Amino acid sequence: MSKLPRTGVIRDYDMHSLSVRIGYGVIYGLCLVMTVFALFPLLWVVLAGFKDLKEFVSSTSLLPRSFDLAPFAKTWSQLGLGKNYLNSLISVIGSVVCALIFNGLLGYGIAILRPKGCGVIKRLVLLSLLVPATISIVPLFMNIQRLKLGNSFLPLWLSYGANAMYVVLFIQFFESLPYSMIEASRIDGCSPLQTFFHIVLPLSKPICAVVSIFAINAAWSDFLLPYLVLRGGELQTVMVRLFVFSTEQTVNADTMMRSVVFSMIPPIILFVIFQKQLTENAASAGIKG
Amino acid sequence: MKNRNSDLIRRGRRREDLKAWLIMLPGILLMTFFVWEPLLESIRMSLYKTENVELVKFIGLKNFISVMGKSNFTQALTNTFAYTFWSLLIGFVLPILLAMLVGETVRGKGFFRTAAYLPNMLPGLAVIILWSAFFSGEKSGVLNILLAKLGVPTQTYLTRANLVIPIIITIATWKGAGATALIYMAGMASVNPELYEAAAIDGASVWQRVVHILLPSIKKLAGTLLILQIISVFQIMYEPMVLTKGGPDNASLSLMQLMWQYAFGGSMDYGKASAVAVIVTAILLVMTAVYSYFNNKESDWD
Repeated sequence: MSKLPRTGVIRDYDMHSLSVRIGYGVIYGLCLVMTVFALFPLLWVVLAGFKDLKEFVSSTSLLPRSFDLAPFAKTWSQLGLGKNYLNSLISVIGSVVCALIFNGLLGYGIAILRPKGCGVIKRLVLLSLLVPATISIVPLFMNIQRLKLGNSFLPLWLSYGANAMYVVLFIQFFESLPYSMIEASRIDGCSPLQTFFHIVLPLSKPICAVVSIFAINAAWSDFLLPYLVLRGGELQTVMVRLFVFSTEQTVNADTMMRSVVFSMIPPIILFVIFQKQLTENAASAGIKG
Repeated sequence: MKNRNSDLIRRGRRREDLKAWLIMLPGILLMTFFVWEPLLESIRMSLYKTENVELVKFIGLKNFISVMGKSNFTQALTNTFAYTFWSLLIGFVLPILLAMLVGETVRGKGFFRTAAYLPNMLPGLAVIILWSAFFSGEKSGVLNILLAKLGVPTQTYLTRANLVIPIIITIATWKGAGATALIYMAGMASVNPELYEAAAIDGASVWQRVVHILLPSIKKLAGTLLILQIISVFQIMYEPMVLTKGGPDNASLSLMQLMWQYAFGGSMDYGKASAVAVIVTAILLVMTAVYSYFNNKESDWD
């Protein structure tokens, strides 16, 4: 058996007992079942993408007849998804920048600068964690319309600068930084803003990475506010297009599945690159992205 | 002399405070614009007759009366509680079980963690559309293909009123359970391994160690995740919107979906939409308050 020590409830010395060994086998079996459940739908949607419409609606086989990439290429060019991909990219980049700067600075003020009265802001931020975001989407949309910010990325970018969870993550991290370094830079004559950019940010790479990954994924997957702001215009993102397809049923089922595949590629790439940070930070960075 | 010094220090502090507030200002303004003001605004708006983005006339509670008087509200309210019930039944214990299982593995642990977390990374909308093909009532629906192999005839799923909510919850659980399991795993990893060893020396079986050491170690975490799960499932909206449009015959219509319909479903009745939002917020506040009351009471006993 493996040389790694067991770290769970079952310890190496338990393995003398036959029933524990059988139980251990069952645990592995169940973990494999979980893996199949988690991965099968993904595998299936890629396979389904190879089918044309006739095959998709009539075939009772899970495997496609041929593994020809032509249907994917056709869907991509027919729907003009390249432009939507570019829009999504612009939307994501702006959102991440806003998420880092605005939430970071607010967290810096609350955790390190602590001006008189900032406790109120801290409490308001913590309370906002409990308030669901979609609940105020109607008045938010009206505000955006009143300011004539419709059909622009600006409100979407800025909305990521107002994320209570990211602020809390920054606060928690900043509070763990060595205060002496920040104090030293202040005594050396750095302004608070200089201290932030020259001392605090370089020390905060781990939390910036976590917030960036969450923000990239959230901004890519977001479609409710983006739909309201961008609908009908030139700036529609991939997810907005997908949402329009699904509500207006303007595309065929097979094209739909290929669009789903296209919409999943960037998050999966992100996941492959950052899987270690993601699976390790999922807990500390709390409750789902 | 002393007085002047402290005066200078105080003035210096005040200047520093001012600078700090200036640094926080952009973030505060954004939080106000995107979170705090809309929340208050939705309360105000729920009391007005609206026309497009204008608040036309103060009408007191008329929006609430009109919204609650319709049969689709009662249906949506019942459905939303049904969503919550099924979510607790299907989605609460499963992550704990997954965490216990994966936590015991040694070889392949990283792989299992990765597989469990992956669905959570996928865009929610894409997940719903993907699963719609699984639960398609056609012969080519994935579940029907699989069932046909077992000799079961073609079934319909999303058109059955009593199945549609459990199905939507199953999909949401598929997406979220693995990520929640990782949170539990972190909680379980904080147990001092010496405890297990001491218990084993005292003759505690594996099962006894699970019941008396492992499970108590995540009790508090489970309470927190429970209330968060309730809060999040109570706002379920786009899943039924995309999968079933609230059907069949409003059987999967949720409260938030009702809000969306009032606002963006053609009538643009933002006042009534806000009334629904206020009702949802009120229910959530009551549930959070009840939770924290019992939570405090319990920790008094500890």
